[in-house]
Amino acid sequence: MADLNTITQALIAGDKDQVTGLVQKAVDENVAANKILNEGLIKGMDIVGDRMQEGDMFIPEVLMSARAMSAAVAILKPLLGEDESVVTGKVVIGTAKGDMHDIGKNLVSMMLESAGFEIIDLGVDVAPEQFVQAVKDHQAQIVGLSALLTTTMPMMQTTIDALKQSGVREQVKVLIGGAPVNQEFADKIGADGYAPDAGSASKLAKQIMS
Amino acid sequence: MAITHAHASGMGGMRVAGDLVARVQMARGMKLAQAKAYVAEKLAVDVSELTDPIVMTEVRTDLGLGVVTPLPGVPKGIEAKFNIARVLDIDINCVKRFRERTRF
Amino acid sequence: MDQFFHRMGDGSAVQMTAKQIMADLVEGSEDAADRGKIPPLAKEEYDYLLDIFCSPHKFISVEPGREVILTYDAATLKIRRVGVHVDRIQALQIYEKIMGADTMELAHVDYSYKPVKPIATFEQPILEQALLATHIPLFYGAQPNLGLYSQPDGPFPNPSELMPMGKIKEAQESYEAALEDLVKDIVFVGSLMYESGADGINLDTAGAAGDADFLATLIATEKLKAKYPDICIEIGMAGEFVLGMHSQLTYKGERLAGMYAHQQVKMAEAAGATIFGPVSNTNTSKSAAWNLARAITFMKACGEIANIPIHPNMGMGVGGVTVNDQPPVDVVSRSSAAMTTLCRLDGL
Ligand code: B12
Repeated sequence: MADLNTITQALIAGDKDQVTGLVQKAVDENVAANKILNEGLIKGMDIVGDRMQEGDMFIPEVLMSARAMSAAVAILKPLLGEDESVVTGKVVIGTAKGDMHDIGKNLVSMMLESAGFEIIDLGVDVAPEQFVQAVKDHQAQIVGLSALLTTTMPMMQTTIDALKQSGVREQVKVLIGGAPVNQEFADKIGADGYAPDAGSASKLAKQIMS
Repeated sequence: MAITHAHASGMGGMRVAGDLVARVQMARGMKLAQAKAYVAEKLAVDVSELTDPIVMTEVRTDLGLGVVTPLPGVPKGIEAKFNIARVLDIDINCVKRFRERTRF
Repeated sequence: MDQFFHRMGDGSAVQMTAKQIMADLVEGSEDAADRGKIPPLAKEEYDYLLDIFCSPHKFISVEPGREVILTYDAATLKIRRVGVHVDRIQALQIYEKIMGADTMELAHVDYSYKPVKPIATFEQPILEQALLATHIPLFYGAQPNLGLYSQPDGPFPNPSELMPMGKIKEAQESYEAALEDLVKDIVFVGSLMYESGADGINLDTAGAAGDADFLATLIATEKLKAKYPDICIEIGMAGEFVLGMHSQLTYKGERLAGMYAHQQVKMAEAAGATIFGPVSNTNTSKSAAWNLARAITFMKACGEIANIPIHPNMGMGVGGVTVNDQPPVDVVSRSSAAMTTLCRLDGL
């Protein structure tokens, strides 16, 4: 039986080959993909974050963990959200300007994609104008904003303001997320929704479209 | 800021015995208390007198260790350092080099 | 409740009650204790600190007999930086005769080993002349400054460009290659200055570019010491904590990234350093009380474990001193006196 704890440990160690090997093994043993994700990988990333804050882990190591995480998620991608009903809609998603964190945002994109959404992923460090332009270009219904830094959270407000100013705010629903963000902040900046993780992000998006 | 430190907690440099204690620390790797005791013994003064400019000016003048106000005939610069090396019984790098270069 | 004049880490004035000051002292010390995994200060130490912060006096000092060696780094730069254009030997004479220095340092304006290397033979005669004319111990010093070895300043690929491209191994290898060159430069310049007669070699702001910078400093120290067993080497740190820019470098089997003063000093000792200059940084948005209690907690732990003399760094923005061009006498004298009184230290 696959041990999710070993996955967590391998992820913290930043050992990409071991992580992907263990994840593949768990998949082969029919462990549910979202269980592997939540109880193995995301748990590991949380520990990485704590250690980073404590000064026990540093950027190169965090990057190695992040790389291992992305590779593992790629294996899980086709299996996540398999059981979910399919909707249609276009989502423009990106990480706020000044912010380079994209693991969480990528997970959200994946879940939304597997739920049937068409994803226009603008990547990281996305300026408000880029969001506005993409909404116009693609006639999207949802804008997803991710921020992992307290210093880039205000950019979400700026982005919503830019959507308003360019007259497209009413045609989209804005969903926000990222570790430092919460419902209260979402309410404060006038976002339409907040989700704490990729699973609930996908549910929320579906609710909006139905 | 430098002057504030000098007054608040510094030994006082060459107006007292600060440089001498520093030399011993640098040459022998001694911790402060030990270095102070060593210098006091070599100069035949009390540890508490190491930071007394009245006592130390007299001692430095007598032993030729260099003083702040350069009186005529009193050892200065490298001359004083020859005396410091001998009195404290430590090696001073530039004194050794001086000997080598002057073949003295 | 009585309000006392106090300052923040940026030097700005505030009024605080004794209770608030005490709360900040405890919080600052506990922050250090928590980060360094070291003991916080004891009741008498908090009481002493509260006492000096509530004192109406402008200037606080140590008790006679508790004075420590005062080392000035980069003295020749500092006097010219304020627009006093004396030459460097005159600057040194001012430090020994007027500023009360116990030791001082000759430094070049570039203050890094790499730029000093090509002009080292021009620096030597100045050092030699200075040694003839001065009395107190004279260091030659500069910063390791590993940052100068990567592009565009040096030959090696820039790790901060490689890292975001996901080239972690390459970034780490670049640090490893760069540090070898840095070691060579420090040993080269250090050797010449020692042979000219310097009383000591100062490796100032070690670790500024992270763990690789610190490792280079340690290896260079080891090499200089092997070459000249009597050489005096002072290692002064750049910050309180070794940043893991490479993150996996070790010295004598210990990982350097994440080390605080009390761990760094053991590395300096193992490398053969004569004197170690630990650092604790000042947080500008916290009070002087918070910063000083925190700094003393770190320095105390370092002093207790050190077998070599330690000279905590008490310049602008470190050791509880505020971050300004002109740190106020009230806060500097309090930091200076308290650090010296409460820590087992050998100099500043
Ligand atoms: C990995 C990581 C990095 C990697 C990023 C690699 C990458 N490609 O993303 C690297 C090393 C580059 C990095 C750099 C930095 N980081 Co960083 N990093 C992290 C870490 C450890 C994990 C983040 C992560 O991927 N988590 C796992 C994912 C799955 O979770 P998530 O991102 O929260 O996403 C989930 C939810 O939030 C939500 N969600 C996310 N986005 C969205 C969007 C929408 C629309 C919705 C609905 C939901 C949603 O769903 C996701 C899936 O469940 C966190 C610590 C942590 N535990 O959060 C620190 C952390 C975020 N980083 C931090 C810092 C300080 C930095 C740096 C400034 C460090 C430095 N000194 O250089 C730089 C900043 C670079 C920049 N400009 O952005 C701090 C932030 C502190 C603060 N006050 O803001 C943290 C919290 C670490 C810490 N405790 O100190 N970091």
